[in-house]
Amino acid sequence: MGFPHKPHPKETVVLSQYFGDAEARTLKGWTKRGGYEALAQVLKMDPVAVTDVVKESGLRGRGGAGFPTGLKWSFMPKEKKKPHYLCVNADESEPGTFKDREIMRWTPHALLEGTAIAAHAIRAEIAYIYIRGEFTEPWTFMERALEEANAAGVFGTIKIYLHRGAGAYICGEETALMNSIEGKRGNPRIKPPFPAAAGLFGMPTTINNVETLAAVPHIIKRGAAWYKGLCLSNPKSTGTKLFSVCGHVQRPGNYEVTMGFPLKDLIYDMCGGPRAGRTLKACIPGGSSVPILTRDETESCLLDYEGVVEKGSLLGSGGVIVFDDSTDMVYQIMRLARFYAHESCAQCTQCREGTAWTTKILERILAGQGKPTDLDLLLDLSENMTGKTICVLSDSCAAPVVSGIKKFRGEFDAYLAGKREAVLVG
Amino acid sequence: MADGVINLTIDGAPVSVPAGTLVIEAAKQAGVLVPHYCYHPGLPVAGVCRMCLVEIEKAPKLQIACATTVTEGMVVKTQSAPAKDARQSVLEFLLINHPLDCPICDQAGECELQDFVFQEGQPGTRYGEYAKRFNPVEDFGPDVLYVPNRCILCTRCVRFMEDVAKEPVLNVSERGDRAFIGIHPEARLDHPWAGNVVDLCPVGSLLSKDFLHKARAWELDKTASICTGCSQGCNISLDTRDEVVVRVRPRPNLDVNRYFICDHGRMHYKWMNRGDRIEAPLVRRDGELKATDWDEAFDRIVGILRGASGKAVALVSPGASSESLALAKRLLSGFAWTGAFQIVMGEEAPLPGVPNLALRAERAPNARGAENLGYTRDYAQALEAAKTAAVVLVLDDPDSTVETNGALIYLGTVLPPDAACRRADVVLPIANVAEEEGTFTNRDGRDQRYYQAKSAPGMAQPAAWVLGEIAAALGVTEAAR
Amino acid sequence: MTVQADYQPVFVDKVMEELQLVLQRYPTKQAALLPALWIAQREHGWISDHIMAEVAELLGITPAYVKGVVTFYTMYHQHPVGKNFVQVCTTSPCNICGAEDVVKALLEQTGAQDAGATSPDGKWTIVEVECLGACGFPTPVLVNDDFLENVTPENVPEIVKKYR
Repeated sequence: MGFPHKPHPKETVVLSQYFGDAEARTLKGWTKRGGYEALAQVLKMDPVAVTDVVKESGLRGRGGAGFPTGLKWSFMPKEKKKPHYLCVNADESEPGTFKDREIMRWTPHALLEGTAIAAHAIRAEIAYIYIRGEFTEPWTFMERALEEANAAGVFGTIKIYLHRGAGAYICGEETALMNSIEGKRGNPRIKPPFPAAAGLFGMPTTINNVETLAAVPHIIKRGAAWYKGLCLSNPKSTGTKLFSVCGHVQRPGNYEVTMGFPLKDLIYDMCGGPRAGRTLKACIPGGSSVPILTRDETESCLLDYEGVVEKGSLLGSGGVIVFDDSTDMVYQIMRLARFYAHESCAQCTQCREGTAWTTKILERILAGQGKPTDLDLLLDLSENMTGKTICVLSDSCAAPVVSGIKKFRGEFDAYLAGKREAVLVG
Repeated sequence: MADGVINLTIDGAPVSVPAGTLVIEAAKQAGVLVPHYCYHPGLPVAGVCRMCLVEIEKAPKLQIACATTVTEGMVVKTQSAPAKDARQSVLEFLLINHPLDCPICDQAGECELQDFVFQEGQPGTRYGEYAKRFNPVEDFGPDVLYVPNRCILCTRCVRFMEDVAKEPVLNVSERGDRAFIGIHPEARLDHPWAGNVVDLCPVGSLLSKDFLHKARAWELDKTASICTGCSQGCNISLDTRDEVVVRVRPRPNLDVNRYFICDHGRMHYKWMNRGDRIEAPLVRRDGELKATDWDEAFDRIVGILRGASGKAVALVSPGASSESLALAKRLLSGFAWTGAFQIVMGEEAPLPGVPNLALRAERAPNARGAENLGYTRDYAQALEAAKTAAVVLVLDDPDSTVETNGALIYLGTVLPPDAACRRADVVLPIANVAEEEGTFTNRDGRDQRYYQAKSAPGMAQPAAWVLGEIAAALGVTEAAR
Repeated sequence: MTVQADYQPVFVDKVMEELQLVLQRYPTKQAALLPALWIAQREHGWISDHIMAEVAELLGITPAYVKGVVTFYTMYHQHPVGKNFVQVCTTSPCNICGAEDVVKALLEQTGAQDAGATSPDGKWTIVEVECLGACGFPTPVLVNDDFLENVTPENVPEIVKKYR
């Protein structure tokens, strides 16, 4: 539910059932609530059978890419010749997204159980849960839960370790995450080779998001057909998703709904819509790296992978950022560009230089020194930054810029015409 | 596809290469240079500069040629509009923080950034409103300066130190456009092979202090040569300006030194410019060495050799050409012959990332060549024999402490004032390695040729010519060997 | 590398034992680098060049390599910081909910003049950081390891009082 709010009737509560329930964090409390039954079942199953169940369920990666999870697991080598690794991506740093944090601090055992099940399915001996350095509270709860679970020996021979990040958004990219675990700079790797062939320490590896793995025990217990049946629109998008709604809404928080749920209902019904006296101006549906939607697009958008693509954006991480009519879109787009410029790892020329240049141009426009050619320049730079780099951070910087200029051109023009000037902080 | 050979098309030209070849290498076969910075055949692939983006049919996005392996039937376009636009954008991005230093930058004229910008960059900048970032020059160590402002973060230097020299003393520090090449304050870039980072740097960011502001790239003549620093036989280029050797750079040879030379060899050229040369033949007249012409010198020597019999000793340099060493022996073929050389030894310094490549303990290029011809390392014994020899021939060994009752003939580049060879009967001026053509045999038995980079001073001539002329005058033919 | 005469190694006794346990979790020593740096920062407050060299030696890598890693990640301090290291998120979702006002309030109330600079009494360093992953609880503020949610300019005085 949208903790700390009460569950909304329109929510489909699966992952978030025990958000706010302190007892659920303990091993005793968790097992009382049916925890670790799925794992016990899985440990007696053939790994391929486990993968088949997840494939059948239609579960797709909840970190942002939406890749079918069962299919990803099946990429691991059929013949076991080397150590296999599972990496759990708890580096949640996509602006607008705060769901993995809740899963870890309220239901740490859910994540541990999903991790162990996945490790069994891909025949990984060791799983590392990479938790971003700033998540001090989730870390504490995960550490305690892990200690309890290890003491009770629930994982069999699978070893699960926590690994703490140290402040780098780019480490949420799966290959950068592996480099970070290996004790290197968090630079994304060129692919091929793909992680399933040569990943962590050069061994076959699968990387999964926290929310994805938290869903796995439920799928095992209640069956693939049940999960597949949770679908309001496109059959390729099944199950529930935690949408992190933030920004200009009355009741921000995580809300769990079935795939295909109308974005309009999420914002107005569940979150109470914008603050009093305000109207919705724009919305970013999937974390800051996806194109911005206008009000009309937002209000007619269905929340599944295909539905959001239809509106010209992406479901991404499901971090819904709502902007009301008080928002200076140019300023916020600048602030996002600044975010990407700060987080660029510096490998690729377009990203390293382009994110900083984009930020500078936007700052100049905000300071009242914009030129008529600036918008075309921004669009040209954004095109040069898209589809040409090792990872998509560069493309992610371009997304709000391009969609922002396209859909909120008036605000940019106002600055260029000298009708507006902003005060830049930081 | 047969026997692991892949056929593909690059810019319309059909190319056949072994399976596993990178597109960027296959392109070379089609005569196409795909512009690039971070890629280097001697380093692991990084794929970071994004300059080598090419269009490949059926691929949804542009692909980097340096990390894409050829597949059968692949169609590659390096000159299509999307590929050129991508390259032009990379150049633009590189130039926004790159200072307009060309007039004061050593790399000008041999700079890959200049080259590609000229070839396909934009005519003007769109970044006019901002100051470029500024960081002061850093001294990395014995010979290397780092100019952060010019750095394009290709990371060739970092990869060389980490993967080839196996001493990761350079890093990338910071993130984003704040990134630069860093070194831990307690460390220096003093690895015996570190100088290669200067060659690898595509721009003027890593510079050699030795070469700093010495000459412009376009003033240099480049001549293929072989390093005389040790017996590895690294292939080098002697860069000269106005008859002075100003720089040594490695020449690629996949079987010997790949793309690298060690710092010892890199610095081992200043002696080639020595001014204190013997510039004319000298013969002893009235107890003193007097300058003369080649004819008189040759006459004197022929007279000495015809009039002598018994023992002859040749004391030679292990840095003399094989041709001169062979002729020196042939000249003395009528005598009971002893030939020897002394060789300076030093510490070996391998380059771990390349098999069979090291700065060798033997600090001379042609010991093996000399040994193949019958010269030995038993210099002490030769010195002893020389005392009672009829003729002693010293070839380019100015430090020899030879004493003899017989005739002493000295061929050399220099003759120090207190040298034992000042007592020679005849002194002949010869060219040094930069002033002649010749052959060295390296420690692995590989014969390699070096070429003339500058003129010999005065009347000096290659030792092989000098000895050849004497041999001809003596009538010592091939058959008489 | 030359060791500073009065340098006190961090990894001794119990701390070294802790590192040994960490090393068991990974197949390579290098993979223990991030955890080792966290331990060092916990013990010493920040990571000096000397500590980088000590860690490098323990893990069989070079000081330059360690430095490259330390400078990549924003949470490792390369110089001393105030007793309370305060990180305030100002990325867009929090930005539109008043994050910049929270920064301003913190700077005013603590006496730290600029973001990034330590206050004259040495007790506070306030920095603006990127998304802290708590966008639904604007504005999130990390005071050392304490993750505070829903910070507004109104409750800043209380926070400052608590940590001072």
